[in-house]
Amino acid sequence: MSVRWQSLIVGLACALAGCGGDGSQMRFVENSTLAKPVHRKARVVVTKQLEEHFGTPLNSVAWLKLPVKYGRAEGKVTAIEDQTVTVELNAESADLTGFDAADFAGTELLLTSGANQGKTVTLVTFDGKKKTFEMAASDVVPAVNDQFVAGGNVLRHGRKLYARHCQHCHGISGDGDGPTAKYLNPRPRDYRQGKFKFTSTAGPAGKATRDDLRRIVGQGIPGTYMPAFVPMLKDGEMTAIIEYVRWLALRGEVEWQLLGQFKEDYAADRAKKEAKEPVDQAKSAVDQAKLAIKEIDETIKANTDESKKAELDGSKKEAKAALAAAEKELDKAKSQMSAKETEAEKQLDTQLKEFEKAGLAELLEEVTGDLADKWNAVEEEGALIIPEMARVPDSAESRKNGKELFFGKVANCVNCHGLAGKGNGAQTEEVGKNLRTGELYPAPGLYDDWDQPIKPRDLTRGIYRGGRRPIDLYRRLTQGIKGTPMPGAPKTLKPEQIWDLVNYVLSIPFDPSTPKAAPAHSVVGQSGEKGHAN
Amino acid sequence: MRKFWCGFFIFWPIAAVVYSAVSPQFNWWFPGPSVTELGQRIDNLFYLILIIVTAVFIGTQVALGYVLWRASHSKAERAWFTHGSHNLEVIWSVVPSVILLFLALYQMDVWALFRVQSFFPKEALNAPVAEVTARQFEWRIRYPGLDEHGVPKKLHLKPQPDDLYTVNDLHVPIGRPVMINLRSDDVQHSFFLPHLRIKQDAVPGQIIPIWFKPERQGNFDLACAELCGWGHYKMRAQLIVEREVEFQAYLQKLRADQNYDGHATPSAVAKKDE
Repeated sequence: MSVRWQSLIVGLACALAGCGGDGSQMRFVENSTLAKPVHRKARVVVTKQLEEHFGTPLNSVAWLKLPVKYGRAEGKVTAIEDQTVTVELNAESADLTGFDAADFAGTELLLTSGANQGKTVTLVTFDGKKKTFEMAASDVVPAVNDQFVAGGNVLRHGRKLYARHCQHCHGISGDGDGPTAKYLNPRPRDYRQGKFKFTSTAGPAGKATRDDLRRIVGQGIPGTYMPAFVPMLKDGEMTAIIEYVRWLALRGEVEWQLLGQFKEDYAADRAKKEAKEPVDQAKSAVDQAKLAIKEIDETIKANTDESKKAELDGSKKEAKAALAAAEKELDKAKSQMSAKETEAEKQLDTQLKEFEKAGLAELLEEVTGDLADKWNAVEEEGALIIPEMARVPDSAESRKNGKELFFGKVANCVNCHGLAGKGNGAQTEEVGKNLRTGELYPAPGLYDDWDQPIKPRDLTRGIYRGGRRPIDLYRRLTQGIKGTPMPGAPKTLKPEQIWDLVNYVLSIPFDPSTPKAAPAHSVVGQSGEKGHAN
Repeated sequence: MRKFWCGFFIFWPIAAVVYSAVSPQFNWWFPGPSVTELGQRIDNLFYLILIIVTAVFIGTQVALGYVLWRASHSKAERAWFTHGSHNLEVIWSVVPSVILLFLALYQMDVWALFRVQSFFPKEALNAPVAEVTARQFEWRIRYPGLDEHGVPKKLHLKPQPDDLYTVNDLHVPIGRPVMINLRSDDVQHSFFLPHLRIKQDAVPGQIIPIWFKPERQGNFDLACAELCGWGHYKMRAQLIVEREVEFQAYLQKLRADQNYDGHATPSAVAKKDE
């Protein structure tokens, strides 16, 4: 009996303690498709840089060069009483809105002036209304008028929420390759190109705004596996997730840019290529020499003039000597190849080390500056696409105009979306070319920027992934869908023409002339369509 | 050791009764009183069954405790073995059958009101307020469009051009019976309103009507109660019971938001979305 009791107690203890791991499996993975053509030493440099500036999933770094709102607060102490520090925040610290007390729990307040300059205090809570921090007990006591920087917990909070709700599809690195991803069609978004499909702003970079992301996370994407997260996620949680997703996207983009740069200068096969160059030269010299002999042989054969024979024999002798020399040269080059390769490797190494010391910081500055510009540009007032005119009333005439445009040469929607709008246009039968690699795609049809096959939307189903409001359709039509073959409408189309198209597209599911799928079952009271409009 | 087992079997019925008695005070029981009257009647049925089984449970435990206690008390008295008693068997078969029959008959009107369409309030049955479609992993909601006076039209089985759509956010008016049509887009889900005591499976290929008459304003949980896939827990939505005017205003706002073209004045929520 005693044995049984013991095992019961042991079982309980295990259940209470939980079988916690150390989370060591959580790590960012390299963008392997991009990294493949890059020299392994350069790859190490990229990984090192990413780790320095972004940290690991469990120990994220808030790199201040990125356009991410970490919930950082700057200001000065105005009063202090026991453990409560009343502060005045700088105007730039307005990004604290949307964060509650929990976001500051366990973060640090760094004093940047006064007697305790450089020292830190651990915070317990933040009261946004009273502008007070609650400190944990500490030897360091800030004085009135001390300047400080306090770190918000946004990344940590966002990471936790991301891990719980998003990671199993979108992956730890935001590569859209989590464990459930392979069962989904369409695939979850890979953030690492910084491309998001449904945005509300124009511009060549076409980044998503915070509100675009909030809309997608909150409302979901109908017709896909992206569910709506409101009301499960509260406002502050949404803010944290959105900032974390932006941070992941920026991490992916920095990796993308660095690897892209290194692909040119530090290709994986650079040393081999350099070492092979003299061999190739020698080989072509041998080939030339052989060709010369052949030519002379032919001339000798064709020659009938006895007087020239001696001369020709002479030049053949010469050519043979040249061939022997070239062959000797080739042997030499071949024997030196491995040494040359080692030397080239060494040269690459020194060059890379030099670059790491001198040029890398500048490159990172350039990359992050460029990214910050792009991501901030869409947040600016005026970036939002607002049509020049209100929606053209949804009349039969407007729909007719829209239909003409749909089938016309300028908009040419029919090419992909098909005659009946079912997403089976002529283009879906053609074998396309991958513009990045220059190769043909393995199967006919359209592909997106992530090299996944993609189907044009079936417009008869009444499912609008980017939103069903007229403004949503207007934005889809004018700027296209990022990362997909859906282009923005040509600039020659006037706003009223776009509205005509919107009116026509919205009418397609209810157009009696468009063929519908036959009812799948004859269940009484069931509407026939599969996956009803929603 | 004999005393131990004796105490062990007597402890549990006492613990169960004490636990049940204090549960409502700590909210370990139902999530508050039901928001609907029908829900209250379902609770009453539940309590009736609870009282019957508690009486039986205590009776059998007391008998068991008594037997154990007596046997542990004297070593002289020996247990006797019997091949059974025909009369006893008849009694313990007939009595539960009668109780079961009683319950089956007693609950019939509640069941009919809850499930049988001909017993549904006519006003609810004739004008469903919305269609709720469960899908992996969210609730998509479709209200009928509004006519020129702002009054909701009839909800068609097939989508109409002026239908209004939301997700995870079901609004209903207080004080009158409302009916929704429940559908599923993919697998089996279950429409669960714990505060209204409603739980109904959503079955692909079927439209299942559910009615209720909410009597209390508020924001209540709507969850999926059928394990429907890896994202089952994500199917958390809200039911908002509000006054008729607020409900009508909500539909108006929904229509304004859905027709937003960048120029018409969107409502506050639409602005927030932008």
